[in-house]
Amino acid sequence: MSAEEEENAADLKIGDEFLKAKCLMNCEVALILDRRLEQLQQMSDDPTNQLSQVFEKSHQYVKRFSRYKNQDAVKQVREILSRNKLSEFELSVLGNLCPETVEEAIAMVPSLKVIAFACCV
Amino acid sequence: MVFLEVEMQGNVVVHPDQLDSKGLLLRKGIILRLLEDIACRKASQEHGYYIAVTALNSVAEGRVQELTGDVVFPVSFNCITLKPSKGEILLGTVDKVLRHGIFLKSGPIENIFLSEKKMEDYKFVMSEEPKFINDRQNSRMENGSRVRFKVLGIKWMEWDRGFQMLATLTGDFLGPI
Repeated sequence: MSAEEEENAADLKIGDEFLKAKCLMNCEVALILDRRLEQLQQMSDDPTNQLSQVFEKSHQYVKRFSRYKNQDAVKQVREILSRNKLSEFELSVLGNLCPETVEEAIAMVPSLKVIAFACCV
Repeated sequence: MVFLEVEMQGNVVVHPDQLDSKGLLLRKGIILRLLEDIACRKASQEHGYYIAVTALNSVAEGRVQELTGDVVFPVSFNCITLKPSKGEILLGTVDKVLRHGIFLKSGPIENIFLSEKKMEDYKFVMSEEPKFINDRQNSRMENGSRVRFKVLGIKWMEWDRGFQMLATLTGDFLGPI
């Protein structure tokens, strides 16, 4: 139980197996899944066969919640956010939730407090 | 909610009739089998939900299983996964509104419960459609509304191969959007 307790996104504590992983924003996942759908349609005669429920639900979800639709916009968002010395996780959360103010951003990603404080001093 | 692209190791079992002396067809067989396996596996406690395989990195030497004649290939592949963690802020859609709270859905995660005790400024209103209303902020949650919430706790359900979650609106900038 203790190991589970320690995984807390608020403190940027995520499991070891994910430290090396690349975080993706909703809009990026939407692009990847769109393309996957096309590929599957070409590859097999019966595309519904390989589509899991998890895939379908995630696809619907990212389509509904991603703010940026075209590929260039998505690239730009990542580029602009990555200028700011954020961790992958912070970057993705900001890209997904699009906070409008500093207070909102800190409420969404509490680990940003350190950066915000450093900027003020 | 953050999706992760993780590199994973696994075994793919290929049936003898899918084996082909031409390399490319064998690779196709392995890929199809891998996709099918991942689709069936749905999720695990360790990695979270498996959403899509993005790349097959390497295929090692296959081993023949003597009894069945199947060939087992150890493979390394990239997969997009989604693992919710405690304290994270997620977006979801309202699925069901009950007197005691709301059931939310967020992508592959179903069964997210937001108890009325965790949103004290919202009051249950039974009209044609049941909903939760906050008079001061003039905001409401009903079927289909989009809500930004925080994860209070997670439980892995082995029989269902999925996660169950408790949500809260206690915190700044949380609520319907």
